Parts: sequence; C-alpha cells; structure tokens
Amino acid sequence: MDGVRARREARRSGRRSLGDRLRGGPGPGKDNAAARRAPPRQRLAAFPDLDSDTPRALLRRVIRNQPQVSPLAPQIAEHKETEDAQSQPPSRRTSSMGELQLPDLVPEGTSIATFRMTRSRKKLSISEFERAADKRLPQNQAHSTLDSTLARSLHMSLGSVLAPDTVEKRGLFRRPKNRKAIDIAAFEGGVEQNMQRKAQNYLVDLQTASMIEAATLTSDAEIMLNNTELFAQPQSGEQNQKELPALEPQLSESETPVQRSKISNAMQEEGKLVGRVSSVGTEEGRTRRYSEEELINDREHVDSMTHVSQKTSANQGEDEQGHSQQSEPMEQLSDSEEVAGTMEHHTNAGYSEHLEKKLTKKAESQIIVTPEEGGVAEGRVKHQDSPKAEPEMATSVRARSLSRHSHAFSSFEKSGTKPLKEAVEQADELEDRAAMGELDGSEEESTEDEAETEGQESKEGSMKTPMFVRAAAYSPLPLLSTPRPAKPAAQESPLQPRRAKPVPKSSGTSRKKKREPALASSYIKQIFRHYAKMPVARDAYKIVEKCCEKYFKQLSDDLEAYAHHAGRKTVEIADLELLMRRQGLVTDKMPLHVLIERYLPLEYRKLLIPVAVSGNKVIPSKSACLSGRW
Amino acid sequence: GMRRGAPRGTLRGVLRRHKPQLRLAASGDLLIHLNFLMFLHRLAEEARTNAFENKSKTIKPEHTVAAAKVIKHF
Repeated sequence: MDGVRARREARRSGRRSLGDRLRGGPGPGKDNAAARRAPPRQRLAAFPDLDSDTPRALLRRVIRNQPQVSPLAPQIAEHKETEDAQSQPPSRRTSSMGELQLPDLVPEGTSIATFRMTRSRKKLSISEFERAADKRLPQNQAHSTLDSTLARSLHMSLGSVLAPDTVEKRGLFRRPKNRKAIDIAAFEGGVEQNMQRKAQNYLVDLQTASMIEAATLTSDAEIMLNNTELFAQPQSGEQNQKELPALEPQLSESETPVQRSKISNAMQEEGKLVGRVSSVGTEEGRTRRYSEEELINDREHVDSMTHVSQKTSANQGEDEQGHSQQSEPMEQLSDSEEVAGTMEHHTNAGYSEHLEKKLTKKAESQIIVTPEEGGVAEGRVKHQDSPKAEPEMATSVRARSLSRHSHAFSSFEKSGTKPLKEAVEQADELEDRAAMGELDGSEEESTEDEAETEGQESKEGSMKTPMFVRAAAYSPLPLLSTPRPAKPAAQESPLQPRRAKPVPKSSGTSRKKKREPALASSYIKQIFRHYAKMPVARDAYKIVEKCCEKYFKQLSDDLEAYAHHAGRKTVEIADLELLMRRQGLVTDKMPLHVLIERYLPLEYRKLLIPVAVSGNKVIPSKSACLSGRW
Repeated sequence: GMRRGAPRGTLRGVLRRHKPQLRLAASGDLLIHLNFLMFLHRLAEEARTNAFENKSKTIKPEHTVAAAKVIKHF
C-alpha cells in the first residue's frame, strides 16, 4: 500500500509541477521519474493535503472508500500503458488499486477506456464495456452494481454522453420507450366535426326560425287553397297533401267558374304558398318541396288552365267577371293571395299556359319575398285588383321584382325559372317577353347565391354573418343537386300537357332563351382537374361550381364598383388589373403581362398585350379596337 | 392544358346577368377569364393541400369546402 501510495504521489507530483515545487520536490521533467521514487515516503506526509484539493483526489477517495470492486482496473492498466507518462500514473494508480483490491476479478478485455481518469476523450466502446460487465454480472452481483455506479460517475466526469443511457438501459428501465405521437388525422377530424356540428347547429336554428314562420303562414294558405282537390291529381308532396284536404271543404259552394278561377288561383297560391313555406324552411327541404310542388303545380296548373282557358279563352267579359269574382276573395286574402290574384289576372287575360306558369314562378319568387315585404305587397295588390292592362301589371311586377333585389331567393327563382323557361319556349307574346325580362331582371338583381340569400335571411334572423359561409358550405350540395333533377322532371310534365293542348298557343317564334348563362360545368371540371393534378371526387365538383357562382357574383360587384369609382359605365382593362392587384395576383414583382403569358393561350395574348413591330405598328392596334365598336 | 378556348360569350352573359347595366371593354372578358383561371388555380391548390394533409389520394368535397373558406379572395 505504501508502495502504491508512493507511486501515486510520484505521478501526482509529476503531473503538477507547481505542486512539486511547492512541496519542494523534484522539478518537472525527466527528474520526476527518478524523483518519484526518491522521496516516496516524504510525500506521504503531504499526501492528504494534496488529495483534498483536486477532483481527482475526491474521486480517489471515493474509489478508496468504496468496497473495492473494479474489474476493469487491470484492463485500464493495460490500456494506459500506451498513454503518455502523465496519463499513465492515474490509470496505474487505479489499476494497481484494482489489482490489489480485487485480485479475484478476471481482467476484462473490453473497453477500459471508459475508466480513464484523463480528460482526453477517446472512442468509447461502451457497448463492449457493458457486455463485458454483463458477463461479470452473475459472478459479481454486488460488484456489477458498483461498477455501474462507478462507471456512471466516471462517465459523467469524463463527459461521455452515451454511457449513462446504455448503463441505465442495462439495469434500470426508468424512461418510457415510446411517446404517443399526436394523431394529426384524428385531431383534424375532430376539428372538422366541431365545425360541422356548429354549422349544423346554425342550420338547425335557421330551420327552427323558418319553421316558426311557416307555421304562421300555413293558416292563411289553407284558407285560400280551396278546391284544389277537385282537379288536383294525387299528390306525392306532403305539404300539398296537407293543404289540399284543408282546401276541400271551403269552396265547395262557390260557382264552377269561380271555383275554377279560384282553383287556378288557389293552385297558384298553393304553389306560391308552398314556395313560400319551402323558402322559409330549410334549404334541402326547400329544394325538395319546391321540386315536388313544381311538378304538382305544373300539373295542377295545366289542369286548371285547361278548364280556365276553355272557359275564358276568348271572352274578355268572362275574364273581367273572373277578375271581379276573384277580386273579392282576393281582397280578403293576405298578401300572398293578392299576389296570386295578380297572377290570375294574367292568366284570365288569356295568356298561354306558359305565361301563367311563368307568372306563377314569378309570383312564387315574389311570394318568397313577401314575408319580408308584406306592406308593399298590399299596395301592389290594390294595383292589380283593378283591371289593368298587362303591361301595367308587368311594370308593377317589375317594380316589385326590382325592389326585391336583395331578398329574393335566386336559387328558387333559378330552379323555378329553368323549367318555366323550357315550358315557355314557344311563347311569343310581348308581355311574355316583358314578364320574362322582368324575371330576368329580378334574377339579375336578386342574389344568385343561396348562401348570400341565406346569409341575409340569417341576418334577419339575428344570426352572425360569418356563419353564412359555413351554411353556404353545407347548403351547396343539396341545392345544387336538386334543381337539376327537378328541372328535367318539371320540364317533362309541362311539355307533355302543352303538346296535348291546341297548337296555336305553342306555335310562333320558338325562341329558346337561355335564362341563365352559367359557365359550363364540364368546362369548370376540366380546368379544376387540370389544376388539381389529383383525382377529384364528383361531389367536390359541385362545391367548385358553387364557388364559381359566388366568384362571378363577387367579381361583377367589384368590377362595377371600380368602374363607378372611375366615373365610367364600362369596365376597362385597368379595372381588371386593379382587381387582380387587390387580390394579390398582380404585384410589383409580378406584372399583368407575365400572368397573361402564363395562363392564356397565344391568340389571347396577342389581343391583350400590345406588341410593337416594325413600321411603327402596334399589335393589336388601338384603331382596330375602336373600329370594332362601330 | 385546356383544349377549349375561353368562353367569351358565356362570360359576357354571366356578367350581364349579374349587372345588366354594366358594360365590358373589348378584351376585358379575356382578363376576366384569366382571373377566373387563377381563382380556380388557387382553389385547386388549396384543396390539394388539404387532401395531402388528410393523407388522401383524392380531393374530397370537404377538402374543397375548407379551401373555399380559406381562399375568400385574399
């Protein structure tokens, strides 16, 4: 032990020249080797003081005080032999310590470098060390634990990063291996569900609000919808069924012509009422009911019209009588009924069924608005009650439609007018055109977007505006899909009865007026598919289409605002560039010409981008544009 | 690419339907078409991103709906 200590001291002194000098021992350098052995015993006295100063001393104390279990010590000694003189002394110290203290331990041939006391880092094959240590485990259970602790402390002192983990892995499984990663998909799904729930809640609120209105209206409707059952065919619509039986008992006494007129009136009103109720109801319900009612109305109207037309086909007097007869009950009626009276005006005047249907549609659209403009309707009714020329009525209707700019449900008008349009192909009366023009005007002015209308309605219902986005998002599918099946179905029924009727009504100019020039859906599909670069679900296209409608509406509003701001009535290229700039498409870095070149085909580029060519020419020439106007 | 040309007549008709009193310059509808293409482009990109986030191989309606809410003519 003395010899060990002496050697230790000697190395220590060799390491620290200062310490040696202080002690007055031999100087650093070669003398150390000799000096080490020279004053070994002298050092012993100073040994404790030096030990306490340094961390090495502390470690040494630890090692010394612990039960001596260092199976690696002999190996350390082996490895340290290769090191320089400075590194050797401590390793030798430990190794010798180990050897002395644990003679029974088998020297390990694995990574002993970890036991190095030096601060210099070497590649530590800790895994090997661990394996070797594990081998020793059954032999030296206590020692192994000690080793692990020792190793840990040493690792820490040496600053090795990997060691603690591996050591711990061997003995103590403290840390959990896997952390549960957040399931992003589930999270997003939850978010969407939340949004859907909120949208549904708003939709439900909307529905409840509308149903309350509907309940109040049905009472009036039932009064008016009399006798429809006499001529009505078996109905499939629920509401129609409810209303028809209600109508039956009421008008049984009235005269046949009156009945018939009233029937036509009632049927129109029924249609209107259903239109109103359905408009008030939910979107889906609306469209379905509307489509049903459309079919039913068309059939009913056809039947009623046949009767009515037979009765009053050429007789103005009868018409007037019908007017007077109708005017009385009409006066008693509510606004919707009055509107129906106006419709009847038109019909009794001897118009074609098409016109009547058109007017029913118009009235329906008007009726849809009447809940919001009840007072105005009354005024109009008075107008209509007096036998006036149809143009006057048309103008009044036009005025009505114009005033209803923001309220009409364009979706209904659209779907309603589409079948009407088809039905009215052969109408050639001026008033027809005027009426159609009116309808066009009303359509144009009414918001085409169901979402917007619904948004406005929701505003009235004290709902938040942003919700219309969500409501719109959920409304489009049913709204978009139903008008199409409704349209062909509705078109078939009016077409067939019309053909059954005498020809004179349907002859003449078969002008196929396109009521709503909407962009071809296949075209939109094609473009979207090209830009998406991914397979797109069919239902997604419906949403894209709805977005396009919204887009065009907003676009037209913006362009009108810009042109008006510039004091112009014509939208110019500058307006469009301003629009694109506001949308962030055109920037200072991205001029309009670049976008034109990127997106549009060559022939359009030539038209849009003026190019200068030789001979002082510019293509396209400004004069050509001007001449085109003439 | 798009095989069809820009539907100039349809675009003018749609604009007339919305704003009958509004006129359009000679080549204005081409720029409207350009704007429309860019709008669809943005919408498609956003929907595509949404579909990728959902690890879906196709664009579903809900992706498009979410995209429409985001785009909103920023």
